Parts: sequence; structure tokens; C-alpha cells
Amino acid sequence: MPQITYIDSDGNKHQVELPLGATIMEGAVQNDIKGIIAECGGSCMCATCHCYIAEDYLDKLPEMEEEEDEMLEGAVAPRTERSRLGCQVRISNALDGLVVEIPQEQ
Amino acid sequence: METITEQKFQFNPYSPIMDSDPFPFYKTLRDQYPCFWSDDVNMWILSRYDDIKRAGVEWETFSSSQGNLVDELPGRSGSTLGTTDPPRHDRLRKLIQSAFAKNNLMHLMDPTKELVTEVLDRVLEMGSFDFVQDFSSQITVGTLFAMMGLPDEDHHEVRRNVILSIQSDQETRQKGPEHIAGFKFLTNYVEDIVRQRRAGPKDDLISRLILAEIDGDKLEEAEIIMTSATIILAGVESLSSFLSMMAYNMATFPDARRRIAADVSLMPKAIEETLRFNTSAQRFKRVLTKDLEMHGQQMKKGDFVMLCYGSANRDERFFRNPDVYDLERNTRGHLGFGGGVHLCLGNMFARMITTIAMGEFFTKIPEYYISVEELNWNPSTTFRSPVKLPLTIGK
Repeated sequence: MPQITYIDSDGNKHQVELPLGATIMEGAVQNDIKGIIAECGGSCMCATCHCYIAEDYLDKLPEMEEEEDEMLEGAVAPRTERSRLGCQVRISNALDGLVVEIPQEQ
Repeated sequence: METITEQKFQFNPYSPIMDSDPFPFYKTLRDQYPCFWSDDVNMWILSRYDDIKRAGVEWETFSSSQGNLVDELPGRSGSTLGTTDPPRHDRLRKLIQSAFAKNNLMHLMDPTKELVTEVLDRVLEMGSFDFVQDFSSQITVGTLFAMMGLPDEDHHEVRRNVILSIQSDQETRQKGPEHIAGFKFLTNYVEDIVRQRRAGPKDDLISRLILAEIDGDKLEEAEIIMTSATIILAGVESLSSFLSMMAYNMATFPDARRRIAADVSLMPKAIEETLRFNTSAQRFKRVLTKDLEMHGQQMKKGDFVMLCYGSANRDERFFRNPDVYDLERNTRGHLGFGGGVHLCLGNMFARMITTIAMGEFFTKIPEYYISVEELNWNPSTTFRSPVKLPLTIGK
């Protein structure tokens, strides 16, 4: 299973293994990573699973849909090039070793 | 010889006791009848956390297309966010969502603070006051009108009709003529505003709905009107009731109140715990799109299902000591704003206004008590809130 490292909203590192097909948001919720709220449960409706993806993995991510783009505009922490909603990124083998940073605010 | 049989359990959302204290009924439902058919309201009742959460995610089975209010208002089904399913729901929501995103609400913060100060000054002078009339509804009507660009002089009339719209008749077990008339007033009111905005669009939500297109089609007139009326309904009543529930809780739990008064940075925790403990939106409705078995009960396609969010938030299978109001609790996963695709559109708006309004309220009024023995609760199958919350400042 691909290995993912979360850096939670307090700056603590958590290394976890996630099954293929799970989303970054689900992985965070299941492992109780601080800072991911995921209020809408993965429906791309709330922007509370905002995270920053390590730069070297950006081109390995699934393309961003318009809905996610719109939601990210409403995110609380600043949106950057590395911003994605965790519920819209599914784990693939290409993402093995990924580091995901959780902002301080959702 | 006849034997005395155990009285049959009933779940009647039209009874006044359900308005004042539904929680013991919820517990019986969760423990003994997790999938219960209620003859009183002619629908299935779901009450456990996992089931409600599931219904929110599985929108294809638990459809909102035939209304989401337990007693639906005429014309809403299929024309608002809460009463449509994806994909149309998602497109409609996208049009409206950005207006409710946190960074687009920041401009409301300063006017809200000013309004809160002004309203609080009046309340402080009164000493004894009705929190609903004199505080919470003043704040929510004021901020919502500012957000939607509606004229101030209409505050009173709009609020009066909003209250009527959310009520149901306890005798006839449906919306009465006065409730329908209240909602009719609101839709006519919005219709007028829509006409004005068509003639001269402004930079506001209603103008945006008029100009918007989904897949090349303009929104239907009914969608614009019903969606706007629902936003007014929720913004005025749900939010005002939420503030009232928070004031009520803090009258009941003075230790928590004093902690917040001494440190307003606890407000976010207090808000989440209040959303879990007894938020105003208690129950919503769905219709099944296929046969479904749950907890040994066979439900049929076309059956209505009531989702008791207020019960899910007290489910001991999910929250430890759920009947205790605990500022230190991890509230993650609570369903105070619902969940899934229909998660409350105004959740950021509500949190922001509540943080400002109640933070200031507790700071200026750290000591108060409820001045009556018993509260009167709104007769509503969906919402729970006191008609009046008479408070007196002091110990």
C-alpha cells in the first residue's frame, strides 16, 4: 500500500499506509489527523479538507474539476499552487511517498 | 379475560412534548426501534448516527426531490437546494456557494460587530428582555438583509412571516392556512425583489441567480424565488434559533458560560458542542428511490423517511456521554449542520455571526438567568426553538 506522510495543523508528522482508491481526506479522518474536518463527508461541498501537496507530486495528481476549483476559492487558509481538497485526490501507486501538509485553519 | 398490554411506543412529532424535549423519545428509538414506522407522521424514523450519516451520503437512495421539511411548504420541492438531488443540485449550489464561502463573508464582520454593539446596548438598558425578539432575531435579520441587499424597513414583516412558515398545526398535523399564507408572503416578497433586480441588477445574490446559467439554461423563475425564500427562511429563523439555543444552554450550564465569558477564544468549541448537543434543525425528510431493508424492517420505494439529526448527535454509539454538554469534547463528525451533499449552505455564515454575536454577548453579560419557569416552544416538526426566551441580567 502507498505510504503517505501527513503534517498536521500542529506541525506533527504522521506516516500512514493507505489503500489504493482511498482519498487523502478519508486517510486523514481514519487516522485522526488533526486539522482535517471534512464536514460534508467528501461531497466537495465545504472546503474543510483543504491541504497542501508536496510540489514534486503535483503532476501526479488527478486533474482538478471545476467544482473543486470553485470550492478552493472559498477556503480559509490561503490558496496556493499546491492547494487541493483532500476528498478529490485518490491514492494511486504514483503517490507513494507523498507528503501532505494540513493548513492551520479550515 | 383481557390483559393489560404494554402501551405501544409512539413517535409523534406533532405533540408539544416533542417540541420541548424530544431527547427521551430519541433514546427509545435508538435503543429499541432504530427503524421505526410512525403512524402519526406516516414515515419511517431513523435515529442512529451511522444510519443518518449514511442517508446523507447515499443521496441516490435517500432522495430530497420530494421535499426535505417534514411538513413541506407548497412549491419548494424540486426548486431549492435542499429539495433537489445531484446533478442539478450541485450546479445550483455552485452558483450560490461562493457567496457563502468564508472569504466572501469577511465584509460582513464589521457591520455585524456594529449591529451587535448597538443591540446589546439596548438590551443592557432593559435588564430583563426576550432574547429571541430583542437580540437574536435583530442580529440575524440585520445581517441577512445586509448580505442580500434587502431594505431595512421590511425587517419586522419578513420575520413575522418567516416564523409562521416554519410552524405546523398540531391539531390538523399539517401546515395551516396561516402558515401557508406566511410562506406565500415571503415568496411574493422575493418575487417583487426579483422583478426589481431584473430591471436593474445589483452586485447581490438574487441578481446573480437571475443572470446565472446552468448548461446554457437560465434558472427557472420558481428556482430563483424558492431558493431565495429558503435562504431568507434559514438565515432568519435557523440562525436566530441557533443563537437562542446557545443562550439557553449557557443559562443552563453556568460553568461553561463563565469560562467563555472569561475567554472568548472558547467560542468555536462552544459553537460546535451546541450544534451537537441541541441544534435548532432537529429533523429532515427524504424519500426512498428503491426498496431498502434496515434493522430488519422492509421499507418500500416511495416511502418517506425522517432523519433525526438531533438524535444522531446524542447517539452513545458514536459520542461518549452524549447527554453531557462538554466544552472539551471532540465534536468532529457531528451532524448539527447535516452532512453529505446537503450540508448546510450557511454553515460558515452561521459560525461567523454566532462567534461575533454570542462572544460579545457573554463578555458583556456574563451573568444571566431564564426569568420564567417554563418555556413555550415553536410548534414545528423540523425545527426546535423557544418562541420566547425571557432572560434577566444578573445572578
